[in-house]
Amino acid sequence: MTRPTATPASSFSALRQRPWVRWAVPLLLVVVLAVLPLVLTEAANDTLARIGVFAVAVLGLNVVMGYTGQISLGQIFFLGLGAYVTAYGVTNDWNIVLVFVLTCLIPAVAGLLVALAAARLGGLAIAMVTIALPIVGVPLAKRLSEFTGGSQGVSARFTDAPEGSGLYDDQWQLYLVLVIGGIVFVLTRFLVRGKYGRAFAIVKGNENVASSMGISPYRYKVLAFTIASLIGGVSGFLYMVVVQYTSPETMSFGHSIELLVAMVIGGAGSIAGSLLGGAFYVVVPNLTNAVDPSLTALLQGALLLVVLFVLPGGLVSLPRAVMRGLRRSPAGRGHAAPPTTPSPTTGSGPAAEEPDTERLGRA
Amino acid sequence: MSTHSRSQRALGIAVALALAVTVSACGGRDAGRSGDAAEGAPSPGITDTTVTLGITTPLSGPTAGPGTCTVAGVTAYFGAKNAAGGVGFGDGKTRTVEIQALDDTYDPQQAAANYDQLKGEVFAMTAGLGTPTNRAWREAAIADEVPQVLIMTGDPLFSDTQQSPWQLGFVPIYQNEGAAFGELLASSGAAHRVAILSQNDDFGAGYVEGFKSAIEGAGNIEVVGELTYEATDTSVDAQITDLANSGADVFFNAMSVTPLVIAALQKAQQLGWTPSWFLPSNTSSPTAILEPGGAAAFPGIYSVSFAKAPQSPAFAQDPDVVEYLAALKQYGNYPDPPAFPHCHWSWMIGATLEQAFQNMKEPTRDSFMEALRAIKDFQAPLMLPDTAVTTSESGQPAVSTVVVQKYNGRGYDTVEAFE
Repeated sequence: MTRPTATPASSFSALRQRPWVRWAVPLLLVVVLAVLPLVLTEAANDTLARIGVFAVAVLGLNVVMGYTGQISLGQIFFLGLGAYVTAYGVTNDWNIVLVFVLTCLIPAVAGLLVALAAARLGGLAIAMVTIALPIVGVPLAKRLSEFTGGSQGVSARFTDAPEGSGLYDDQWQLYLVLVIGGIVFVLTRFLVRGKYGRAFAIVKGNENVASSMGISPYRYKVLAFTIASLIGGVSGFLYMVVVQYTSPETMSFGHSIELLVAMVIGGAGSIAGSLLGGAFYVVVPNLTNAVDPSLTALLQGALLLVVLFVLPGGLVSLPRAVMRGLRRSPAGRGHAAPPTTPSPTTGSGPAAEEPDTERLGRA
Repeated sequence: MSTHSRSQRALGIAVALALAVTVSACGGRDAGRSGDAAEGAPSPGITDTTVTLGITTPLSGPTAGPGTCTVAGVTAYFGAKNAAGGVGFGDGKTRTVEIQALDDTYDPQQAAANYDQLKGEVFAMTAGLGTPTNRAWREAAIADEVPQVLIMTGDPLFSDTQQSPWQLGFVPIYQNEGAAFGELLASSGAAHRVAILSQNDDFGAGYVEGFKSAIEGAGNIEVVGELTYEATDTSVDAQITDLANSGADVFFNAMSVTPLVIAALQKAQQLGWTPSWFLPSNTSSPTAILEPGGAAAFPGIYSVSFAKAPQSPAFAQDPDVVEYLAALKQYGNYPDPPAFPHCHWSWMIGATLEQAFQNMKEPTRDSFMEALRAIKDFQAPLMLPDTAVTTSESGQPAVSTVVVQKYNGRGYDTVEAFE
């Protein structure tokens, strides 16, 4: 691929490809995230921690829907299951590491069992099966009251800052969310950018092509669903870290749809989009409450429509939309005839710059 | 290769953080954490001229109707007081009372988020509706020493002073209601056979527990059938048919789902089973439940109450009711006469809070809790005779006395004996 050196945009991207920049950006991010909890207010820390919880839940949904293209409406069930497992373990004084491992394993196994059956059906049938999860989950949680505390729910405070750390509870909780959530995000990034991610993308694009390439659509659908359930379980653990209480309402069907909305608004098939989706899930109810508490549902619906009309690719496409606008406007006024120059950058447009995995993931 | 996506991600994270920080900056002005206030210094949310109360309650979604009422009543009460100059406090100052209400859509997570947002700005949290939505931040409120008082849940946990030092429920707990009917039945002297149908959760179990403890040892009462149903069930026809066969002449129906109550009333008539009924206070509305259910066919429909029903013709000229309905329209942003009792319960919460304000010696949350827990036999406006607000009894909510009432075809009359 020939690289033109004249345009400022390409020299900018060349700078960004220098090795030290590659390392500096994530490093800077880690430093900022490490310092942030110490300088922010309690309210800001609480909000950030909540964003982390739901960003992880949306990330799980993205693995199965955004990257693999299978409709799942049951993600909230795995969050709820993870939260209940955590609450049960904590109230019975189990080792917290064991609790965390179980919080990953039990939802993953549940997800695996569901997927083994559902992925065979394919298409909309998966959506139907996954709808059933929260619908069954709520009455089940009410009935199994010796484990779940029934409809009164169960609370578990286990994330007070340890003695001697000098941290406030909200800072400690945010650190837990940042570390656990951060690890999940990094691992998921490697997953979807690597061999498995490419297989997911092909399954999403065309199952017949996948089969002809020796990729079993069934196996990869089950894998994606299981990973999504596992990540959902982790988000349930984080939910207990931050909210410290769960009840059957946690996994009500409406929240599953809200997670789906958050994923689409953030940007389907995108790691950064999951983060934005989590932010949307948490921040928007607070915003609409600040505007008028009696009109929250109406305002949220209006906002959803506006975002989808203006940014069909989700919030994550905002920088690209802005860049495209910026690149176009000086080109039209400043240079006399860029459209006639057959430059590879201007000619092929921004889509050509998209990395392959990203494009496949969104196809 | 993936430079573009990296810059996207960095930008995305920056946007997310900016959003979050902006929102929280609007919410929390002080960076200080709870617990670093000096002894005797004023608590957050109170100045020499104002005091701010917080409410988190469902204002949208399926429970928005009662939820909106929980805000409207107390807002109307203090709106009228503020217009008249404010409320006199025990420390000699006169303050106006502001209400900050947030919508939690009956979602515990959102309720906890609302609490986090409000705790630094409000003096006390009050009046919120819902058991899970109040339980979600109960422990946090205890840790932060923020009052969570006069809330609308029949969950006994909030009225247990040992476990919930910063909490107090307002409405009678489920056991109070069941017990009131049990006592009336036991004192009737005549022999009765009782069938029990209850919701299979803490709600139903609470009613049955109260009822059974009241009839314990009463030789004239025999429980001949006892069944449960799930709150998610769409029909209880099978249970009604089964219980009809028991030949009971009294039917204790601890049910919280409106359509199921109507269906149960109709099913019993189809079967020709016409016992006397007991219904919980929140599913005994004459217009919304008893009329569509054809309740006139039964010899008696009993329920319990502690408040005058503002929509009842019997109380249309009552000065309390007239004042309440006018204030609700003028200050509560609630133009029509409300269909939910939560509006006038919330009004009574306002009156109870005023009692506590008048007796608190210092502008602190400690002093407020002390004053609130010392109210005895306070006859709040709209209360029925023989009921009162008493906050000093551990294990009991602010209102634990209820009177049994009987449906008269249009509304309810208080009854002294079971006929």
